[in-house]
Amino acid sequence: MPKVTIYTTTSCVYCRMAKDFFQKNNVEYTELNVVHDEKAREDMIKKSRQLGVPVIDVDGEIFVGFDQSGLKKALKIS
Amino acid sequence: MYELTIIGGGPAGVAAGVYAARKKLKTVIISESFGGQSFVSAGVENWIGTKSVSGFDFAKMLEEHLRAQEDIEIIGDDKVESVQKTEQGFSIITKSGKKLETKYVLMATGSQRKKLGIPGEKEFDGRGVAYCSICDAPIFKGKDVAVIGSGNAGLEAVIDLLPYATKIYLFTRTGEFKGDKVTQEKILGESKVQSVVFAQAEAIEGADFVTSIKYKDLKTGESKTLPIGGVFVEIGVIPSSDLVKDFVQLDSFGNVIVDHKTQQTSNPGIWAAGDVTDVLYKQNNISAGDAIKAVLNIDEKLRKR
Repeated sequence: MPKVTIYTTTSCVYCRMAKDFFQKNNVEYTELNVVHDEKAREDMIKKSRQLGVPVIDVDGEIFVGFDQSGLKKALKIS
Repeated sequence: MYELTIIGGGPAGVAAGVYAARKKLKTVIISESFGGQSFVSAGVENWIGTKSVSGFDFAKMLEEHLRAQEDIEIIGDDKVESVQKTEQGFSIITKSGKKLETKYVLMATGSQRKKLGIPGEKEFDGRGVAYCSICDAPIFKGKDVAVIGSGNAGLEAVIDLLPYATKIYLFTRTGEFKGDKVTQEKILGESKVQSVVFAQAEAIEGADFVTSIKYKDLKTGESKTLPIGGVFVEIGVIPSSDLVKDFVQLDSFGNVIVDHKTQQTSNPGIWAAGDVTDVLYKQNNISAGDAIKAVLNIDEKLRKR
């Protein structure tokens, strides 16, 4: 199983969509909410070089936004 | 070959899909996402039959209703890249490389956010320039930010930013704000909100991330620079009519001109409904109704043959 981390904000709808997608496809993931977790926020900015959520890290491959087809490929979901 | 291809998954596209399935038209609907622009709304409170629903749940409701239909093909993770005329109708090519043949097309593509079109906007997209305040506002915690646009969307962005940003500069090109008076009073009374009037944004500057915005004071003609760490662009929308701009008549705003009785465009094989059209009032409920008119008209046309 690949290691999946998603950086979110509480009100972000694309984050909810991504989490829904993980749940539907039985993908285990760790959620880091960057609203209060400053270290996570810094990590997210460092990894993605940008300031938007969601940022999704799949074994080191970084996705900005909810890129369903990209994630499907990385997670080998058909 | 499909009888109908619906492009778009907002209220217009989904309503059309449900009706087309029930009419048993050989239909495909293509959309990257469902729900339309309301998807990012905190709440939708005027969708008839539903007292209040979040944009996220609204989108889910629409998608579930569509997927409950038996007789429709749904391509839910792809995007139409081009529409070309053929002898029998149209040929549609998607981003993933799919090629479909269809007799008729229903454009339910809605509209997209207008960009400022100034230097730095594209370069710093995501690196300080933001378009989804409800999503990204918290990341601007402790920063000074600018909000461009004084309509309701601009005012809502200010509200989203209030708990996080240190200072919010609200830009308007005129001397006043256009959004709801109640909201205006609420935010302009906040000490961290400062209005910047008669201001035309000229350039967004920075290194790794945005550090300042350059603007012109339209009263004095002077160029000024304001140090900020973020720019939220909320200057309205433009219709997504590019796909068919070569075959149908558009008005000067880029809206597809339709016959408001049937939703047919100037091209006899293409219908349009919702925000992409020259409809006077751009509303979820109206988009759904207009799309239904289109499908009923298309069904009539197919039966006549």
